[in-house]
Amino acid sequence: MLRRRPDPATTARFAAAARFQWAALLALGLCLLGLTPNGLLPLLTIGLGVLTLLKLLEARRLEERRLVALLQLVSAGLLAAQLPSLATSLLQLATAVLALAGLLALELGAGLAWSVLLRRSLQVLAAGLPLALVLFLLVPRLDPFTNLPLSGGAAAVTGLSDQLDPGSIASLAEVDAPAARVSFANGVPPPPGGYWRVLVHDRFDGRSWLRSTPPTEQGQAGEGMTAAVAPPLNPSVPQGQADQLWVASPGRQQAVPWGGSGQPLGADLALQPNGELLHRGPRQLRRVYGIAASSLRPAWQVHPPGQTDLQLPPGVNPRLEALGASWLALPSAQQRLNAARAWYRSQGFSYTLQPGTLPERAPLDAFLFERRRGFCGHFASSFTALMRAADVPARVVSGYRGGRWVEAVGGQGYLDLRQSDAHAWSEVWLPGSGWVAVDPSRWVSTPEGATRPRRIRWGPFDWLQSQWWGLDLAWTRLWIGFDQRSQASLLQRMFGPLLPWLGLIVLLAVVLTLGLGLALLVVLQRRSLGDPSRRRLEQLLRQLHRHGLEPQAGETLAGFALRLEQRWPDLGPELRQLVSAYQALRFAPPGRSLQGRGELGRQCRALGRRIQRLPR
Amino acid sequence: MEFVRPLQAERLRLGLRNLYILPTRFGWLWLAAMLMLQMVGIQMRSNGPLLLSDLMLGLFLLALHLTHFNLQGVELAVGDPLPGFAGASLAYPLLLRIPARSEGLLLRFPAADPLPLPVLQRGEHRLMVPWIPRHRGLQPPGILRIQTTAPLGLFICWTRWQPPVPQLVYPARREGPVRLVVEAASEPLAREADPAPGAAGSDHWWDLQPHRPEDGVSRLAWKLVAQGRGRFSKAFRAPAQRQPLLAPDPAVPFERALEHLSERICRLHAQGSAYGLVLPRERIPPGQGKAQRDRALAALAECN
Repeated sequence: MLRRRPDPATTARFAAAARFQWAALLALGLCLLGLTPNGLLPLLTIGLGVLTLLKLLEARRLEERRLVALLQLVSAGLLAAQLPSLATSLLQLATAVLALAGLLALELGAGLAWSVLLRRSLQVLAAGLPLALVLFLLVPRLDPFTNLPLSGGAAAVTGLSDQLDPGSIASLAEVDAPAARVSFANGVPPPPGGYWRVLVHDRFDGRSWLRSTPPTEQGQAGEGMTAAVAPPLNPSVPQGQADQLWVASPGRQQAVPWGGSGQPLGADLALQPNGELLHRGPRQLRRVYGIAASSLRPAWQVHPPGQTDLQLPPGVNPRLEALGASWLALPSAQQRLNAARAWYRSQGFSYTLQPGTLPERAPLDAFLFERRRGFCGHFASSFTALMRAADVPARVVSGYRGGRWVEAVGGQGYLDLRQSDAHAWSEVWLPGSGWVAVDPSRWVSTPEGATRPRRIRWGPFDWLQSQWWGLDLAWTRLWIGFDQRSQASLLQRMFGPLLPWLGLIVLLAVVLTLGLGLALLVVLQRRSLGDPSRRRLEQLLRQLHRHGLEPQAGETLAGFALRLEQRWPDLGPELRQLVSAYQALRFAPPGRSLQGRGELGRQCRALGRRIQRLPR
Repeated sequence: MEFVRPLQAERLRLGLRNLYILPTRFGWLWLAAMLMLQMVGIQMRSNGPLLLSDLMLGLFLLALHLTHFNLQGVELAVGDPLPGFAGASLAYPLLLRIPARSEGLLLRFPAADPLPLPVLQRGEHRLMVPWIPRHRGLQPPGILRIQTTAPLGLFICWTRWQPPVPQLVYPARREGPVRLVVEAASEPLAREADPAPGAAGSDHWWDLQPHRPEDGVSRLAWKLVAQGRGRFSKAFRAPAQRQPLLAPDPAVPFERALEHLSERICRLHAQGSAYGLVLPRERIPPGQGKAQRDRALAALAECN
């Protein structure tokens, strides 16, 4: 295929626009790197990105260049739907600004400097923003048109596992990858060592623990997620008013961490009867959800146990079964639990991350009566089996414990959970109390700090990363937290009885903000016009005005500088240099003053700083 | 856009009554993209596409006014048009008074290259808008279209104006034979085959005389014979010392003959030679210099 040779005149005309469009494409490309192509929308977005690249390569005419800018804006919009984090949002914003600058450059030609075009792009954006915000905040949002998922699919990243088999693990590797972040509306950190539950393992085959909750497909309620068992989410509490805002890292589980109490908010969330909180959003993306405080006792905590919670394969761990059976004589579940606690404490168990594998045959017997060394999974697994042997319904829960409270600079603090905070513990059913969390790892004699994996490192990079995450979390609370319900609540608060007149209010607000935007643009343009050297001098004169000094009628710059020097002799050399530079600049023929303008700017700034420090 | 009736006035001030604005094709595409992003935002319950689509709508509404502001209040007047030649690009002078900064203006006469004006600051601007006259005489430049799509290309705002001041257009310059009338002679058929003075024995001739048999057929002006205008012999005389009076060659169509004269006058002026002009209703005595050239060309332009 023959490629048309670009016309040099056209190339020169669109040179400025082309530079902006390539820069916008770069920002777009960086953003696209974060996208996993496993759904209709991600594939569409990537396809659009490729199309934009091809169009940019072959664009020659004005119309083609315009189309490139529009494709870039649309791609940024589609990416914003899928990657709403702070970093990607900044990249999307950069794409929009650069695409707009490209459009402006197409209209204004190649005669203007890129900084002027970029500034003009920001001005236009700033002028359009008030109107956009009015529409964004005040125009009521519609419900989704369809339940068809536009993105999603399987993911394969580190996280908790459906199956818990501590006996097969010789050495527990420490993974410091981020698991979740949670910010609290009151800004108060939670009590240290808190438990954040994720998965409930209730099926036991004598060696490993599995979940009863079957994995569900993206966008569909799984078995057990029917209306009868999934409590309706509280529609009166908007996500924007969540007491806890969670941002869970991508993982292979639909289950997401939470504290076990409170009311999950959002249509994407489903609370299982066993207390697992499932998020139906794409698993390869970070999940954002809110939890509202509730004084009610969580339903899962009083949901009665089933036969599965007593299931114990007979004969697999005979010594364990015998020990559990020995507590059957105790009349209450609480007493059997106490007996188990006393037994663990008396047997000299120790915590280690390198316990070695357990034998295939009677693995828990080997742990309880021979090795007596293990990590949280060993203790939770053996204790739960013992409770079942003692006819007390019990199950293993895996999730996170503790976390690190990060005080974000200039923002609200948050709790940072890492994969190294992963933990397993037990829940036992005590009549009258419901499901109660019991952590047998805490009964071992080793110090508290050694009972679970410690953080690997916390260097300057981690500090920077934690601060960035703090900003990201604040952004998430502000940005993603504003949903349909938040908007309804905001409109109710803002307009109350005037709400039936919302249409008229929106119309008036649109007219007002349009006028405001136009006025803003006029003011900004006027400020950017005129002689730059004179503007810099005016800035300096304004500073001097604060010291009661201003030029008199008929006074020259040199005369005024002399007067200043008499007052502040120290400033003499700088003042003389400034006068010289300004006069040289005035005298220079047009087009030969750029370098001198930069010099004058530097001198004005330096002098301004010195004047600022002078006593008034 | 040509459906708009052109305005006819000596001075024109652009405003709501005479400016027209419509979305461009790109503007409609912009709206479609905005709607698509709105739908994605609603479907995905995502704020990003929603805000971006709202921003696009905001920019669309803003662009409507900004594009209009580029032409709003602009005053147009005609300067003093200088004469030029038909068939060549002529500059039509316009005076633009800009009340505030205007961006992306484009001025265009029919069938001529547009004059793009990326940025015009407040104040008066003298512009030369190109146009190509097809005929000689006092010619109006046609309908001027003034348009802008700045700042974002979403709208096109335009008006059409017919400047009332015509521009004097000389006949196009075309090389060809002209008739040279001997000073004070009244021979109506004197002409030349070549603009350069000839020498005897060559094909270059200066005048015609009634044919005599002793002249031989080689000096016979066969073209005139063919045209049935009689038998004439070519007279080869060097006219170097004479001041020629140029006249349209009767052997070519009149308009073409004027174009030949136009070229000849320019050439003689460039050589610094003196020349006169004889036209059906006007006679310009021999002379030289710019004034002579302009007078002669103007006579050609307005010759009937």
